[in-house]
Amino acid sequence: MNQLKRSMKAIAKHIIFTTILTLCTPASAGAQSVVKELKEDVNRAAGMFYARPIIEHHKITPTPKGKKPFYINNYCCPASYYLDKVEYYKDTYDVFAKADTLGKLTKLGKDVFHRIGLLCREVNNRGGEVTPKGAMQSRGLMKQLMLRVPELFTKDTYYSVHSVVENHCIMTMQEGLLQLSSMQQPIIARSKASNTGIRYMAPSDGELANQATDSLTMARYRRFEALNTNNGRLMRSLFNDMNYVATYIDEALLARQLFILAGNYQHTELAGQVSLWDIFTPEEIHQHWRKQNAWHYIKYGGCTLNGGYQAYNRRAVLRNMMHMGDSMINRKDPLMHLRYTNENVVMSLACLMELDGMGIHTANLDSLEEYGWANYRIAPLGGAISMVHYRSGPNDPDVLVKVLFNGHEAKLPVETDCFPYYHWRDVKRYYLRKLYRYENKRLNNKVNSR
Amino acid sequence: MKTKTLYSLAILFTIHCSLFTPSAVAQGVREFIQHTPSYASCNYHVYPDTITAVLTPAPAGKKPFYISHYGRHGSRYINSRSGYDIPYKMMEQADSLDELTPAGVQIFDFMSNIMRDTEGRWGELSGNGKQQLQNIGRRMVQNFPEVLCPGAKVTAVSTIVPRCIESMGAFTMEMLQVCPQLQITMEASKRNQWYLNYQDRKLRKNYMTPEAQKAYDAYTASRLGNSRLMELIFKNPDIVKEIVDEEYFNYYLMKMGLFQLNINYNRDTHIMNLFSIDDLYRMWQVDNALWYIQHGACKLNGGRQPYSQRYLLKKLITDADSCIQLEKPGAQLRFGHETVLFPLVCLMGINGYDLETDNLEELEEKGWWCSSVFPMGSNLQAIFYRRDKNDDDVLVKFLLNEVEATLPVPTDCAPYYHWKDVRQYCLNKLERYKSK
Repeated sequence: MNQLKRSMKAIAKHIIFTTILTLCTPASAGAQSVVKELKEDVNRAAGMFYARPIIEHHKITPTPKGKKPFYINNYCCPASYYLDKVEYYKDTYDVFAKADTLGKLTKLGKDVFHRIGLLCREVNNRGGEVTPKGAMQSRGLMKQLMLRVPELFTKDTYYSVHSVVENHCIMTMQEGLLQLSSMQQPIIARSKASNTGIRYMAPSDGELANQATDSLTMARYRRFEALNTNNGRLMRSLFNDMNYVATYIDEALLARQLFILAGNYQHTELAGQVSLWDIFTPEEIHQHWRKQNAWHYIKYGGCTLNGGYQAYNRRAVLRNMMHMGDSMINRKDPLMHLRYTNENVVMSLACLMELDGMGIHTANLDSLEEYGWANYRIAPLGGAISMVHYRSGPNDPDVLVKVLFNGHEAKLPVETDCFPYYHWRDVKRYYLRKLYRYENKRLNNKVNSR
Repeated sequence: MKTKTLYSLAILFTIHCSLFTPSAVAQGVREFIQHTPSYASCNYHVYPDTITAVLTPAPAGKKPFYISHYGRHGSRYINSRSGYDIPYKMMEQADSLDELTPAGVQIFDFMSNIMRDTEGRWGELSGNGKQQLQNIGRRMVQNFPEVLCPGAKVTAVSTIVPRCIESMGAFTMEMLQVCPQLQITMEASKRNQWYLNYQDRKLRKNYMTPEAQKAYDAYTASRLGNSRLMELIFKNPDIVKEIVDEEYFNYYLMKMGLFQLNINYNRDTHIMNLFSIDDLYRMWQVDNALWYIQHGACKLNGGRQPYSQRYLLKKLITDADSCIQLEKPGAQLRFGHETVLFPLVCLMGINGYDLETDNLEELEEKGWWCSSVFPMGSNLQAIFYRRDKNDDDVLVKFLLNEVEATLPVPTDCAPYYHWKDVRQYCLNKLERYKSK
């Protein structure tokens, strides 16, 4: 028991420390900046359904003197895909179709009905599939990576490519491979979509996941949701009979579905021609985004409402990353591990790795923007965490690593004298200790509950 | 008619031979199996990857301009546990009753290894399968550089089954290794399932008519059991009869052994070695007859089963119609399954696979050998030729598993056919479905 208390204390200390650390870090972020970023590109409001753009002008720090990259471990989200929950398209369309036949739509309502119709026509029988834009995105991101770390893309490089068995992940992988193949001949590549890698590609911890939405957390979230919900104006703009709305329409559900669809056009062939964002005010968009963002934080981040450990759900990924980093140290030829997995795995991994301060722990859902915790920055579609390893040669005792987090050089929770590079031994030590502490805590809980 | 049959038979033999044993003279299925045991496993047969068939040069003045393709995924792991479970559970029970001979115990061990290797990978494309598709893709670009040249458009579609998606990926990725400037698009979508993977349940439901069942039972009666195997594995074959169905056991254990040839890192041949060439040959006969009843133009059930692929054939025609209008149509690649490719080949009458008979004993002698059509990785390629875009006389040649094939359409320039004739023949055939 005492031991448990001690370890709990240590963990609490660690959480507080991390929180303070994050608070002190110049959180580039702040509410202002989310508002600003949404204004710059409203598609960001789609959160994890934001299509990561291919930015050409990322700052690139030169390779550390005397070293060169020899290994990259890359975890990728699927590229843009149509929502797998086709009811979002269909149910929304049906609500409008019914209201239309009854003459309950305003002029704007009729126009929205038409726009949703266009979307439904494109999505018909394609739910969950990578869109043509997504296919190009996957190729573009692969090309970008190849241009950024050219030393790694040689004819001697071994490409080990693995996807989880989920069609949009497999297609993202295959599109990426096409790009690779068109730029590298001959190529030594081995790819597979198999359940065999699930333990390090998309592991899950049922016990932990069950705690994510306990009743207390849900009560807090519902309250947060209520405070950020205001659908009256939207409904009045779409329907001409508020009695009809009150009787037949689930306002909150419809508003949420419309918001999700608005975020979806960017992936489709309608992008740039048709949009739904105009039916919302910037404040409404911000509110909807806040709700989704808070929900993602509760499910995948360090939210202390449900214990603060949800990111550990995918800890086996980080463990494997450390293990692989060590295994590659003496390898002669460069190697790439390209893993295509689900976006929520990448999100948890980013939080667990505390990339750019995303590991924050708080119970205050209102404070996420202040901390810069924004879902579209963490795991948008096409998002990726790439750990690049550098050395002077196979016997170099001081391997350096750098993490490319959605393309930019990320800050890790480890001290360094050569940012954006970190000493592998420090990184490994930090993350392994973090994982061991958690596993030890779980073990102690088990022992004590016997 | 007789001459025609003999002619196609001769061609068939040539094709079989060129596919598998280039040096061998015309031989029967049994000899085939002796050379290539996997041939006995019909749709689990491994693609004959050493293609040595020589392609006829392009017809004078014409060149290839469009390729239309349908291909099966490459070698895979078995689809579900149930196929392996049948013999495995019988062995498990016999083991718990101490009814296994020392040889039986050893076989049980091998079976356990296979189960362990396959667990969780049901239906996945194997490394071997990926290699087959890469090789086919590479050869396609090498054989038809006029179509697959820098800038050429390649439209690849696949069913939504992961092994087909991966097959498509392996194929196209390798094409880029030969010609990096190909403009390839890929899609794996439910919206193409209606022609890429159409399973006509209504039609399929009625394939085993009472007449077909009677003929099948009569044909298989002498071919299913294996008392030698029972005595080798079980201490008291008479006692284990309560738990082991001899015919099922023989059939599924053999399949389990043969399946291993599809998986490159685990070519465990221990189980296969239990079976003699004649065991394998009989198994092939049984399966070949069943595939004929299921997908061939079998008179015992009205001969309509190949029509399950009527939408695909129609789509191939309309796709060709519109591609012929284009200056540089490139290639259309489609990735799917053997239960689609096979009836399509039967429907089109490629290499005489439209054979109509009510006598199952005839299949083998007439060259209706299913394993030659649909091994893992099997494919049908239609290569279109013309002088230029204004050429009215488009010619086409069909490659079944990359070997030139015949169609029951008159031609003055075999292996090339006048597209107009082929098109009309296919449309007439589709028209006939209505009267059936």
